[in-house]
Amino acid sequence: MTNNQIFDGQPVIEFDNESDRRNFIKWAGIVGVGSTLVAGGLGKQWASAQGNSDIDILNYALTLEYLEADFYTRGLDAGILSGRDEALVSPIKAHEQAHVSTLSQTITDLGGKPVKKPGFKYPGATFKSKDGFLKTASTFEELGVTAYHGQVTEIKNPDLLAAAASIAGVESRHAAILADLTGGNPFPAPVEKTATMAEVLKAAKPFLK
Amino acid sequence: MNRRLFIKGSATALPATVALQMLSTRFAYAQDFSGDVDVLNYALTLEYLESEFYRQGNAAGLLSGKDKTYLEAIGADEDAHVAAISQTIEKLGGTPVKAPAVDFGKSFASTTSYLKTAHVFENTGVSAYLGAAGFITNPDILQAAAGIFGVEARHAAIIGELLGLAPEGGVYMGATETAMTKDEVLEAVAPFLAADSGAMAGGAAVTL
Repeated sequence: MTNNQIFDGQPVIEFDNESDRRNFIKWAGIVGVGSTLVAGGLGKQWASAQGNSDIDILNYALTLEYLEADFYTRGLDAGILSGRDEALVSPIKAHEQAHVSTLSQTITDLGGKPVKKPGFKYPGATFKSKDGFLKTASTFEELGVTAYHGQVTEIKNPDLLAAAASIAGVESRHAAILADLTGGNPFPAPVEKTATMAEVLKAAKPFLK
Repeated sequence: MNRRLFIKGSATALPATVALQMLSTRFAYAQDFSGDVDVLNYALTLEYLESEFYRQGNAAGLLSGKDKTYLEAIGADEDAHVAAISQTIEKLGGTPVKAPAVDFGKSFASTTSYLKTAHVFENTGVSAYLGAAGFITNPDILQAAAGIFGVEARHAAIIGELLGLAPEGGVYMGATETAMTKDEVLEAVAPFLAADSGAMAGGAAVTL
């Protein structure tokens, strides 16, 4: 196992192989700091038609929420946070768990079948230090934000948008706070960015068993 | 009394939301807007209000360090939202509302009062976008409105953190964001609109 450095040269995340590391970094670049966007999102279709049903989209969101809920549970159990850090991250875990419940229930209400909780794996150093945990958390949250926003024009039932948006806004709060805690930029752009399902799943793949 | 209402309205603790409640959000507000331009002019009025609020607040010389850096970035975001929404309304053949006349009272008396008012503005903005999004029919505009909504949520969280508020109910407002109707939002911001405000007083392009 190699210890690759991705965040400003700080050894934070250890990946099992070079391909996993590249996928994660590639995604991190998509949501990177410093993008200037004023009216770029207006009048322009960002996400190409991805061809998934609403149930597919909700199950995709559910998979990401399962990952986040599991990630925060492990990180908080590791006992590496204290003080304000811990106080700010503990509710995030509760939120992700609530999102898992809400999405599962919504899928069931719509007559669909919620995906089972996947198995997860994390690079060896993820929960060894506060910095490693929080920086990975920051990346996960930005990933979650772009994932939700990438589905806005894909969801067919407009009523589901309210539910998805009400979750996405909370992920934006998380992203801003984790950026602040890790010395990043809480406001990388005036409008949230988007990523397609394929892009997000590629980034999340190293964490799925 | 208005000011108290404003604060009370957006500081309400948010209960855990079940899926079915969220599904009904859109229909609950079905009377609020007549079309995309109407929604956008409503958003534009709020963005004008925020933009001017930060312009005045940041010019008051109250802030330093991280407070200053963040509030300047937030002000720049609001300016960008005003520009983007105005351009979009024109692109749709509509007429953007004018900037409302504002009066922020004693909001800039201290750093704390500035940040506290900003915190309420941002949380109101988040709820306003969520309450209005269901009326947007053009997917591109919905994409942009959602993207702005998320950024307002970032602002709200960071200002809550700058104030050192409780994580839940101060930085975060529950596991899901809560929508506000147009009436609720307008009641909340009414204290900051000057009496002679053309945009809000009934004329203008948007009926509020």
